Amino acid sequence: MPLYFSEREVVLPGQLLSDDDKRSGEGTYVLGNKVYAATVGFATIKNDKVCVIPFKSTYNPQPGDRVIGVVIDVKPNGFDVSLGRHLTATIRIPDKKEVQALNLKVGEVVYGTVKESGLRGVFLETGEKIKKVTSGLLVSMHPSKIPRLIGRRGSMINMIKKETGCDLLVGRNGFIVIKGPSPSNEFAALSAIRLIEREAHSQGLTERVENLVRSILGGESHGEG
Amino acid sequence: MVKDEKLKLINEEGTRIDGRRPDELRPLKIEIGVLDKSDGSAYVELGKTKVFAAVFGPREVHPKHLALPDRAILNCRYHMASFSVDERKPLGMTRREIELSKVIREALESVVFLEEFPRTSIDVYIEVIQADGGTRTAGLTAASLALAEAGIPMADLVAAVAVGKIEGHLVLDLCDLEDKYGEADMPVAMAPRLNSIVLLQLNGRLAKEDFRRALEFAKKGITEIYQKQREALRKKYSGVSLMEV
Repeated sequence: MPLYFSEREVVLPGQLLSDDDKRSGEGTYVLGNKVYAATVGFATIKNDKVCVIPFKSTYNPQPGDRVIGVVIDVKPNGFDVSLGRHLTATIRIPDKKEVQALNLKVGEVVYGTVKESGLRGVFLETGEKIKKVTSGLLVSMHPSKIPRLIGRRGSMINMIKKETGCDLLVGRNGFIVIKGPSPSNEFAALSAIRLIEREAHSQGLTERVENLVRSILGGESHGEG
Repeated sequence: MVKDEKLKLINEEGTRIDGRRPDELRPLKIEIGVLDKSDGSAYVELGKTKVFAAVFGPREVHPKHLALPDRAILNCRYHMASFSVDERKPLGMTRREIELSKVIREALESVVFLEEFPRTSIDVYIEVIQADGGTRTAGLTAASLALAEAGIPMADLVAAVAVGKIEGHLVLDLCDLEDKYGEADMPVAMAPRLNSIVLLQLNGRLAKEDFRRALEFAKKGITEIYQKQREALRKKYSGVSLMEV
């Protein structure tokens, strides 16, 4: 079956990708037995399906994703948690005592794992997997840029942690909690995040982030700079 | 301008008041990603017509009871800045702007996959900065680009242009004077890849044969605009490589 794109080509909505409607994957749609691109992105083949990896997309929760949310409602049988933007997740706890034991209030931040996501809404895992975040700096960035913040096998995030001495909790939904030894370290980590958000598309970013962090922290303790 | 002085919109050689041929578009300029705080944005300049479009969402619906359980709602606001026209336009939505918001919304609804985002709203804001005819079409052209930049799945881009009749001649992409003093003005929007017309309005009169020819004219203009839209999107993402996504 012929394909009408080269691997990793930038495709635009409405662009014809394939004649085989069975190969329609993520980011594509089928019309009259043909596969077309639905978003702007890179065309690629994943598991024999034609897919488009979008440049910018909304966060679509997948089971197992680690997310950070802000409690927006406390109910007798659980909590409602905002995941930013339009997403609201629910934590359902059948036992009333357990709800009270968590002692969460509106406005507090939790670090959790997505259990289920579908038409009925997003649900987070309960029990051990839900953690209250008690201190730190809560910042947000566009969810589509989170993979860039983490980097290949965590290269970027580990570098930031090492250089700034901060602990970073990253939620796939775009919320990040920075916890550092001093405000200036936290500021350095935040600046790094903002730089990544602005220049996510460019190459050699890890190096530039490293330089930025070092220049902010100057001759202070962390790193060689 | 003296009222009874005869305004000549097109001369014998077929040259229009601004020096264009009948089937010539005004100079088109497209920029994508111009507004920081929006999820997607575009700026379209068609001659003296200047339009911004911004897309927000999918986000929570306000008021909440408007949310649909099976798909997103598309909110659209077409608005002309008070300084966009010769005589100051009062603030707020006029009857005309409310109507245009509706037809633009319906045009976009036919290409956007709303069912991907149940219980949310996608908000499209179109702001006309300077108006010289063809603002709804330029607005629609910009809005579809802003939606594409926001990463909202859609079947095709929408390109739009107006055709009309002035002093017996069919012309493409009318400017304000041609719109006001001409015999007919017909804005057309299409999803070119799907070959479907998503907006068609007509002010004035066109004979059946004229209408057919006008539609052919519009298709030609739309193809040209569509090409420019795709170029602009390609240019925006030309330096991106896969590792960074």
